[in-house]
Amino acid sequence: MTIAAINEQLLRAIGVGVALLDLETLRLRFCNDTFRGWFGEMEVGSNLLEQFGDLDVEALRAALTSEGRYATESTFRLRRRTMTVAMDFNRALDEDEPIAVLVCQNISRIKELESMIDSYSAMVERNTREIKREKEQVEKLLLNMMPRSVYEEYKTFGIVTPRLYDPVSVVCIDFIGFAEMVTEHEPAVIVSELNDIYTAFDRIGEQFGCARIRAVGDLYIGVAGLPDPTEDHAQAAANAAIRFMRYLHQRNASHPIQWSCRVGIASGPVVGSVVGVQKYIYDVFGPAVIYASRLRYMAEPMTITGNGAVVAALDNQFSATEAGTLALSGESEEPVFRISAEQMRAGQEL
Amino acid sequence: MFAEDYQTTDFGDEGPRGPGEERMQKSLFEKYGGFSVVSKIVLDLYDRLLDDDDVGPFFDEIDMARIVDHQTKFVSSLMGGPASYSDEQIRRMHAHLEIHQLHFDKLQSLLRATLADHGVAPGDQEAILAAFEARRALVTG
Repeated sequence: MTIAAINEQLLRAIGVGVALLDLETLRLRFCNDTFRGWFGEMEVGSNLLEQFGDLDVEALRAALTSEGRYATESTFRLRRRTMTVAMDFNRALDEDEPIAVLVCQNISRIKELESMIDSYSAMVERNTREIKREKEQVEKLLLNMMPRSVYEEYKTFGIVTPRLYDPVSVVCIDFIGFAEMVTEHEPAVIVSELNDIYTAFDRIGEQFGCARIRAVGDLYIGVAGLPDPTEDHAQAAANAAIRFMRYLHQRNASHPIQWSCRVGIASGPVVGSVVGVQKYIYDVFGPAVIYASRLRYMAEPMTITGNGAVVAALDNQFSATEAGTLALSGESEEPVFRISAEQMRAGQEL
Repeated sequence: MFAEDYQTTDFGDEGPRGPGEERMQKSLFEKYGGFSVVSKIVLDLYDRLLDDDDVGPFFDEIDMARIVDHQTKFVSSLMGGPASYSDEQIRRMHAHLEIHQLHFDKLQSLLRATLADHGVAPGDQEAILAAFEARRALVTG
C-alpha cells in the first residue's frame, strides 16, 4: 500500500469529519466517512450551502482570502439528536487549484454538558436561596430566644458559656385576677389580649433597653443591662415599667377587658445561659430575678415596688417612698420602696 | 454561687437537634459521588433515550437543552439530589403526552440498565426504580 493510500484510508476512518471544497464554487470534492455519517445527503459535487444554508459565505471567503482560515459552528439534527459541529476551514492548494480543507469536530457532548451544568447550577442556586431563607427564619427564631451576642457566640463556637451579669435590673410583672379572667373569657380572647399587651411591652422594652427574657402566662420578665452592661440599667427598667403601666391605663380606657398589673423591680446579679441541650432555652436567673418576683407581691394594683439597690441607682425623674420591709435574701428584713415617676404625677395617677 | 449546676451548653457540630432526631442519612445522590458521577448517568440515559425507538420519539421536536435539563432534574430527583417535584407538577408536565404503559416500562428498563452500568448497587437500583414506579399513575394515561 502506498503512503498516499494509507493517508487516504486514515483520513476516511478518523472520528473527525474532513472535506475538501473547491474554493471558488464551494462544491464538495471529497469527504471522509465521518463527514458523510453526519451529512449523509451531501454528494461529491454538491454545494456546501445546500447543507449549511446559514453559513456566512461573505465572511468565509474574506477570512480564507486574508488569514487563510475560518472557524464557525453548525447545529443540526441527526435522527433526533441535536448535533453541534465546530467547523474549521483552511485554505490550501490542490495541484495549483485553490481549495478549502474543512475539518469538523463533534462538540455535541460539550454542548450537552454545558446544558446540564446550566440545569444543575440553576437547581443548586434555587436550593441555596431556599436554604438561605430557612437559615434566616431559624436565625429570627433564635434571636427571639436569646440576645444577638449570645446567638453570635453560639454560631461561632457552637457553645454558649454561662455568664454572670452584675448588676442588672429586672422587671417582673403579673396581672391581678388573671386566673378569673382566663375562666371568664374565651381562650382566644385572652390570648389575643395578651399578644397585644406583650407586643406593646416588647416594643417599650426595646425602646428603653429592657428586653423581655420570659413570658409565661401572665408573668412577664424583662431585664436591663444585659448582655451589654449599662450604667443606667435601673433607669431603663424603671422607665420601661412606668410605660408598661401607662400603656395599660390607656388601653383600659378604650377596651372592655380591664387589665391591672403589679410590678416588682430589683437590681442585682443574674446568670445568663442557654439551659438544656435538646429543648434548650436562653434563660436569665439569679437574685435579681427572684427579688423582682417577690417584690411584685408587695405592689398594690398598678404600682411598682423596688429594692434598695434599684432605688439607689435612680435619678430625680423618679420618686421612691418606703413601703414596708421584706426578707429578700436570707432572714433579714430590708426596706422596699414604691417607685413612681416625678413628671407623670401631676397629669396621671400611677 | 448559683451557676454550679450549669455547665457549658454544647450543641455539638450539627447545631441544635430535636429530640430523637437521627443524623441525616446520605442521599443516593451523595453516596454515588454527587453531580460529577450523576452527570455521567444523566448523559448516558440521554443517549439511550434518544436511540430508543419507543421512548425517543417523545423528544423528536424538543430542544436539546430542554431534554438535558429534564433528564438532569429527573435523575437528580430520583436519587435525592437538589431537585424535587410535587406529584401535581409531574402530572402537569406530562399531561400533554400520550404515555402508555409500554413507554413507562421501556424507560424503566433503560434506567435500570444505565444505573447498573454505572455501578449502582442492586439494592440502590431498586430504591431508585421504586421511586420511579411510584409516579407511574401520574404520567401514564
